[in-house]
Amino acid sequence: MTAMSYAGLVAAATVGVGRRPELVTSLAGPAAAHVGVLSTADPAASVLDAAALLTVAHRAGWLPQTGVSHPGPAAADSAPELPPRAAALLSRAAEADAAVLTDLLTAAGAAGYRAPAPLLPALLDAAIRDRALRPAVADVLGQRGRWLAAHRADWQRVVAGAARPDPADGPDAWQTGRRDERAGYLAALRDTDPAAARELLRAGWASETGDDRAALLPVLARGLSAADEEFLETALDDRKGAVRAAALRLLARLPSAAWSGRVTERAWPLLRLEGTGPGRTLVASLPGGLDPAAARDGIGGQPPPPGISAAAWQLTQVISLVPLGQWASRFGLAPAEIVALPVAGDLASHVHAGWRLAAVRQASPDWAAALLTAGARHPQTLRAGSRPLAAWPADEQLVAVLPPAARADRVARLLSRTTITPAALAELTACPGPWPASLAEVVVSLLRAAVTAVPGSPAAQASWAGTRWAGELASAAARNLPATGGIDYAAALTRLAEAGSCPPPWPVVLHRIASTIALRRAFLEEIH
Amino acid sequence: MLALAPDPASRRAAAGLARPACWSDAGTAGDLLWGSCAGSGRQPYQTVVDLTGPAYRCSCPSRKFPCKHALALLLTWAGGSLPEQGEAAGYATTWQASRQARAAGRGGTGGKPKDAAAAARRAGQRAERVAAGLADLQVWLGDQIRAGLTAARAAGYGHADAMAARMVDAQAPGAAAALRRLSAIPMSGDGWPGRLLAEYGLLHLLARAHQQEGTLAPPLAAVVRSRVGYTTSREDVLATPAVADRWQVLAVRDVLDGTIPARRVWLRGQHTGRFALLLSFAPAGNFSGLEAALIPGLELDADLHFYPGQPAMRAVPGPRHGSPAPAGRPAGAGDLTGLLSAWSAALAEDPWLTEWPALLTAVPVPGEPGWRLADPAGLAVPLLGQESQWRLLAVSGGQPVCVAGELSPAGLTALTVWHGDQAVRL
Repeated sequence: MTAMSYAGLVAAATVGVGRRPELVTSLAGPAAAHVGVLSTADPAASVLDAAALLTVAHRAGWLPQTGVSHPGPAAADSAPELPPRAAALLSRAAEADAAVLTDLLTAAGAAGYRAPAPLLPALLDAAIRDRALRPAVADVLGQRGRWLAAHRADWQRVVAGAARPDPADGPDAWQTGRRDERAGYLAALRDTDPAAARELLRAGWASETGDDRAALLPVLARGLSAADEEFLETALDDRKGAVRAAALRLLARLPSAAWSGRVTERAWPLLRLEGTGPGRTLVASLPGGLDPAAARDGIGGQPPPPGISAAAWQLTQVISLVPLGQWASRFGLAPAEIVALPVAGDLASHVHAGWRLAAVRQASPDWAAALLTAGARHPQTLRAGSRPLAAWPADEQLVAVLPPAARADRVARLLSRTTITPAALAELTACPGPWPASLAEVVVSLLRAAVTAVPGSPAAQASWAGTRWAGELASAAARNLPATGGIDYAAALTRLAEAGSCPPPWPVVLHRIASTIALRRAFLEEIH
Repeated sequence: MLALAPDPASRRAAAGLARPACWSDAGTAGDLLWGSCAGSGRQPYQTVVDLTGPAYRCSCPSRKFPCKHALALLLTWAGGSLPEQGEAAGYATTWQASRQARAAGRGGTGGKPKDAAAAARRAGQRAERVAAGLADLQVWLGDQIRAGLTAARAAGYGHADAMAARMVDAQAPGAAAALRRLSAIPMSGDGWPGRLLAEYGLLHLLARAHQQEGTLAPPLAAVVRSRVGYTTSREDVLATPAVADRWQVLAVRDVLDGTIPARRVWLRGQHTGRFALLLSFAPAGNFSGLEAALIPGLELDADLHFYPGQPAMRAVPGPRHGSPAPAGRPAGAGDLTGLLSAWSAALAEDPWLTEWPALLTAVPVPGEPGWRLADPAGLAVPLLGQESQWRLLAVSGGQPVCVAGELSPAGLTALTVWHGDQAVRL
């Protein structure tokens, strides 16, 4: 019998030695010296003896793999890691609330820190699950995080989303890269040499596919200038609608462009100011058919929304394209005065719809504020029936244009009324933090009123009928009540929670808000 | 009080019964609580609790101790719902009297020799049971080899469970645990016959070694006894000479020993350079006391007493000279050559060894089919534990780092990595 190896033993045992009862009498390797201890009476026992001997010999004689090369090391990071205490707070936030985690990561990135290496896998995983986290996570990855992400295909998505392409990568990316890589290359070039980027795009424009043209043209939004106008005008004649739309959006951002003059000229006859002093009135008229040039400039492209005549929709579109500043200079009035003017006939809502679209698109805080006031004052005249959002931007969209302070003031006013509407609460939760003291005070007194209202009383039911509200308010308050500054909101809410009169579930809710605020405060103190 | 409950189910059941409505003829007098509780049997169960122990007696058939009735009686009493009586029920006083008589007998002068004799008799009985059980085990192992390993796979999950139960009856819990572990091997994927044969062989070796225990050197005999499942009492371990040191916590690993949560805390003495293992069990699921307080990054200034047997590794803490305190990165991190030679030496003393402490300077290397942990010399062993690998890689950044973990025959499980001076659990 030849020297028995472990594989031989396994083969014999797998089939069973009952069929071929043979004693193991010799062993391979160093175990051969101990063959004398094997059972000589029972073939099965000799197999078990030999298995034990070879197993222990194999384990004890462990030969490590040799010549294993290490992974290429990560480049050194210049940014410091978050200090350990801040890192511990970040882990706690990661378990609690993605929105708070986003804010803390953003603050850490802004303060010049990068995420601690031990937290990187958890942060990358979180960013894979929650797309909204990706920019904040990508911002604190540092060299170490990007090196780590390079080891896993899914993690690379986090990095790719935030890639800052390097024009030094060479024109290869432009010639042969994927669409997003080409857009990245073009963007990088645009940031360093806007004219060269535009000419590069123009040079190959005719041979690009429609989808590529639609994906690449918006890159010109970076560093847009009057020098781009001529190229954009040619894009207005593109076969592909998405390309024409992109060109229109870009032209609208160039006040000196000929396009601006054309759309403004088209609007003047349709909306005139008549009379003087208190008797001033706006007179609107429906366009009597538009020339093909109007379509090229972006009017009449889409069919009218349901319930609106084609002519009225054209009026809205014509008005919406005019740079808002033009109205003020033509009429010699401020935005608030213009939107307060009566509109002769029954076209007021179509005129205001145009202004609302313009205020959102052109992000004009003055006009947004004026239109919100006017809309609240004349809800019936200005919004007869419900219009689709495409034809009547909602108040929230106008609110989003307001500067943070004005936005907070408005929400504070809405919340100070006797009844809290879902719309007011929606504006509050959308209002970016940290909230100014005026708004924070209103929110805290709202919570206090809710907690101290006699359960079941009309007041409690009226304002706090839905606990869903309480949940939304709690999340928003935890994230946005100021964590730094003179007033310690965490302490205030803890006192409120511990007051004897605080009914369930409020103690739990208030403690949760307070602990999140305390966590944010501790974190911000660590990094500043 | 609920801490007395043997398991969460008892706790819930007891809470349900802890209402005066469930009890009749219940009361308390002196240190006694008693009551009758209607159960599934025809006769109500009679429950007595002696608060001095506390000790319990119940006529219900439950094998849990204390049973839910005794717990419920305690809860009812704690809630103030058990009426104070002048005199206890007859069955309660009878039981208390017999308890006191037994206690007096133990405390008496004639108690000790009788006790020692009884202990010797019990030890003799156990040795016979273990020997008979291990003889059965050898026959069973032989049958497995004769029938062929494929029969084990055909038998499906738990093919060795009946034999494991036999080992429990034979009072050889170590052998029982080994059988339960190997029960899963036939379903564990490629290469299972080789792994199963290895475990069969090692169990066979254990049974053979136990047969010849009298001829073995005392340290090896101690290893065999502990692998079979004989335990050494804590008092006996504490009676061994102490090793005083500042013991740094290298790694903590929670595992399931059968169904009982177990925790391994690996330590290394700063002065002696010795490794030590604190092993604890938490039948109720929660670790408490010192085992819960020791986490990587701390050190414990204490006397340790090592269990008999070689290599001396498992220990219990004796007197402590301070609370656990923060410690920096451990000294003494070695390379794979050193680790593997220590592992070989340890196997020479205990061939059944399956985990050994590792403290290394090394780099994780991702790859297929599996990750490896490589030392600066380019030697590598398989790196186990998919959850921990990425964090280890993140901390290493491709450079050698200080890693603590467990070496097992399949590879190394990294449990702690030092990020600068900060211990990071993996």
